Amino acid sequence: MIPKLCLLLGCAALAYGAQPQKVFPYAYSQEDLPNGLRLITVPTDYANIVATYIVVQTGSRNEVEPGLTGFAHLFEHLMFRGTEKYPPQKYNQTLNRFGAASNASTSDDLTVYHTTFSKEDLDTVLAMEADRFQHLKYAEPEFKTESLAVLGEYNKNSASPFSKLSEVMQDTAFDKHTYKHTTMGFLKDIKDMPNQYEYSLKFFDRYYRPEYTTILVVGDVKTKAVRAMVDKYWGEWKRGSYKPDIPVEPEQNGPRTGHVDWPSPTLPIVSVAFKAPAYNDATKETAALDALAYLAFSGTSDLYQKLVVQEQKADAISGNAPGSVDPSLFEITARVKKAEDMDYVRERILETVKAFQEKPVDPARLDTVRKRLRYQVALSMDNSDTIAQILSYYVALKRTPETMNALYDQYAKLTPEDVRQAAAKYLVEKGRTIVTLTGAGGGK
Amino acid sequence: MRLLGWLLVLASCGAAQIRTVTLPGKSPLVTFRIVFTTGSAADPADQPGLAYLTAQMISDGGTRDLTYKQVGDALFPMAAGVSAQVDKEMCTFSGATHVDNLAEYYKLLRGMLLTPGWREDDFRRVKDAAVNAIKIGLRGNNDEELGKEVLYETLYQGTPYGHFNGGTVSSLEKISLDDVKAFYKSQYSQSQLIIGIAGGYSPTFLASMKKDFQALPAAASPKPKMSAAAAVDKSRVLIVDKDTRSVAFSIGYPIEVTRARPDYAALLLVSSYLGQHRMSSGVLYDRLREKRGLNYGNYAYIEYFPRGMYLMEPQPNLARQQQIFQVWIRPVEPPTAKFALRLALFELDKLNKNGLTQEAFERTREFLSKYVNVLTRTKRAELGYAIDSLFYGIPPYNDYLKAQLAKLTLADVNRVIKQNIRTDRLVIAAVTRNGEDLKRQLASEDASPMTYNSPKPKEITDEDTLVVKWPLGLKAEDIKVKAVGEVFQ
Repeated sequence: MIPKLCLLLGCAALAYGAQPQKVFPYAYSQEDLPNGLRLITVPTDYANIVATYIVVQTGSRNEVEPGLTGFAHLFEHLMFRGTEKYPPQKYNQTLNRFGAASNASTSDDLTVYHTTFSKEDLDTVLAMEADRFQHLKYAEPEFKTESLAVLGEYNKNSASPFSKLSEVMQDTAFDKHTYKHTTMGFLKDIKDMPNQYEYSLKFFDRYYRPEYTTILVVGDVKTKAVRAMVDKYWGEWKRGSYKPDIPVEPEQNGPRTGHVDWPSPTLPIVSVAFKAPAYNDATKETAALDALAYLAFSGTSDLYQKLVVQEQKADAISGNAPGSVDPSLFEITARVKKAEDMDYVRERILETVKAFQEKPVDPARLDTVRKRLRYQVALSMDNSDTIAQILSYYVALKRTPETMNALYDQYAKLTPEDVRQAAAKYLVEKGRTIVTLTGAGGGK
Repeated sequence: MRLLGWLLVLASCGAAQIRTVTLPGKSPLVTFRIVFTTGSAADPADQPGLAYLTAQMISDGGTRDLTYKQVGDALFPMAAGVSAQVDKEMCTFSGATHVDNLAEYYKLLRGMLLTPGWREDDFRRVKDAAVNAIKIGLRGNNDEELGKEVLYETLYQGTPYGHFNGGTVSSLEKISLDDVKAFYKSQYSQSQLIIGIAGGYSPTFLASMKKDFQALPAAASPKPKMSAAAAVDKSRVLIVDKDTRSVAFSIGYPIEVTRARPDYAALLLVSSYLGQHRMSSGVLYDRLREKRGLNYGNYAYIEYFPRGMYLMEPQPNLARQQQIFQVWIRPVEPPTAKFALRLALFELDKLNKNGLTQEAFERTREFLSKYVNVLTRTKRAELGYAIDSLFYGIPPYNDYLKAQLAKLTLADVNRVIKQNIRTDRLVIAAVTRNGEDLKRQLASEDASPMTYNSPKPKEITDEDTLVVKWPLGLKAEDIKVKAVGEVFQ
């Protein structure tokens, strides 16, 4: 039998220039339980393996109280602290016997708990996950110990200047919105976490609720059987009522700058960011900014060729378009080889921005970006775990795989003028923040 | 399918000098792993980093017919690339393409591997990147990888494994483009080539690919003679001093066990029990992090595992004839560093004395027997593992490991523990601020009292009374402190 993936991706590849196929090639089911929990099941042709990704639409964005940043990420840790039925040792040993790969991650907008394992263990995995989402139980001493593991994570991250650069960029660019802090949270808040046991219980009570949660089950599964298991184990979960009052970021009214003095030798970094809109697949703006990042700042861009390949003044340049629930940043980052070239590199970045604001790109170049985006999906969806991982990002935004299809439909419709307009509208001086970093021995 | 692929390997081995590992299938993707069984162990003694620079010039440079920019432009719409990985005995070039683009992608891959461009401006860029990878990437931005690589370099001193794969700063600065071309000519031969390919390619495609690669010289120049790491006769410490928040430790010693040896499965089981990479199931993780909150994680290894802070699973094509046993203690707060080191050794000692219980043995065996399916769930991983099996002369990895595990008994595992797990004759690499202060602490057997931010169960406080005074057996003359600028210089 020819795998379904082969047929569908084959069609997708043939469709350039014609009516595009949906970029997410799998048939799936999307169902809501009465309590608000959403289940998305994606049967694939990859035998024996199943991946569950449980997406909670809660990230550092939801940390609205001052002094209490980093709690979404702390929960990524606390969720492994067990329940009465499955204390941590039993939970770990059960997954261990299953040969499962299990972990979790947190970002601005989501926390995701993922497990990859053999299909015969699906029932138990769903039961154990349901148990910890509904009956997580940890005492204050364990809470205090776990908060130290978070400090340990901050410590290991702190060896990278890029971590510090992000902290300063977010803190400088935002005034009110919770994107002001990174997912790890402010260091002073991490150090204070051991004293916040009561608040942690409140945080769990607010956000670990069915209406915030989507379960993705991808792999060698049958849709009906999965639904029956989810009904059985997750059906009693009680809906919550909390809605965070996330501060709206006021409009930025002028350029900002920041600087990091890194204590040890490192290459200087220049990061130029612009306030950019929230993820939106109903218009072309998100798609246009994504395309702009590729066209202006990827390895094949003129700027990269000039600074990295020909002049060799920088060793890396990247452009990252926003794709968050709320307005965030379009960021261009360059690592410069010599401190004296930092101003030069910054000016070339700003010139590039200006050029893209003024002149639409060659339509043929835009086509190569479109083509790349689709092949990128086709090449990465080569196992159930990655399929679930890709979907989890889109599900965190809008709770459906159709998010991905909608965005790719917008890529298909993009014109060079759309890209120009997005650059002209958002990459403006008024909403700009430039943060630089220099290491010990390097000039500013 | 897996078995069929293996049969094709065996069939092709006899037919031609170029070895192939093939996993044909109906996937719309085609995955390549082109491996040369040469690497940094073949670097001339005065040119560490030569194999690395050669591979980087191939993956990150132009071809004879196309500039680096033209190669990049051609790969961009395919969302494809060619990446290089250099280890002691393998240089691997890997990439994947959709079948739509197979002909065009292969043309680029062939150009990169068979007719590299060897342009001076590419060389300047690649060399700069290699130097910065040491000065900035390793020394500056990644304390944990730094500690691990310092451990390897220390253990293998005086052998062909005795330098970092990426070379040293002073050596890289001296290597010329002619040196790189000469290395390519002498080492990139048919005799050292394994073509790995998986997915929806045709038999005629493979045949013509093999024919193309016959353009390489038939045989390679001899490599430096392999010699084993010297036995560690007493414990010693190398402290790398740099401005950093916390203290990272890597601990290890050479072992005779490799994937090809009879005790492989047993020792793999032991290391998994102690600390499966990035999982919460291991004993070290439980005792240091879960019970005491000392850091973010603690793991154990019996095979080389670079880039562990970014990867959740081991990467294939790092096959080696020699391995070390290693414990990785992630950064701890400086006041608890000595205690954390003692606790890790205390756990190793407990393991050595008590062995595993029947329950732990069975559970860990069950884990590995199933987890191997997760490890090889993608074609690129399956292909990589198949190539490694060819290197080691063992059957397909999944079948091999499952069969070896099935035969194991608790007695086998506990014998292997007695033979391989120890707390003396170790090399310890540490990365910290105030290296001399850590040296003073480690050279003294004074107690390292531990306080917690919350009450601990009696089991833990009782254990701590032993851990705080656990003999480290280190003498000041066996503890060296180096400034970070001196390592890999």
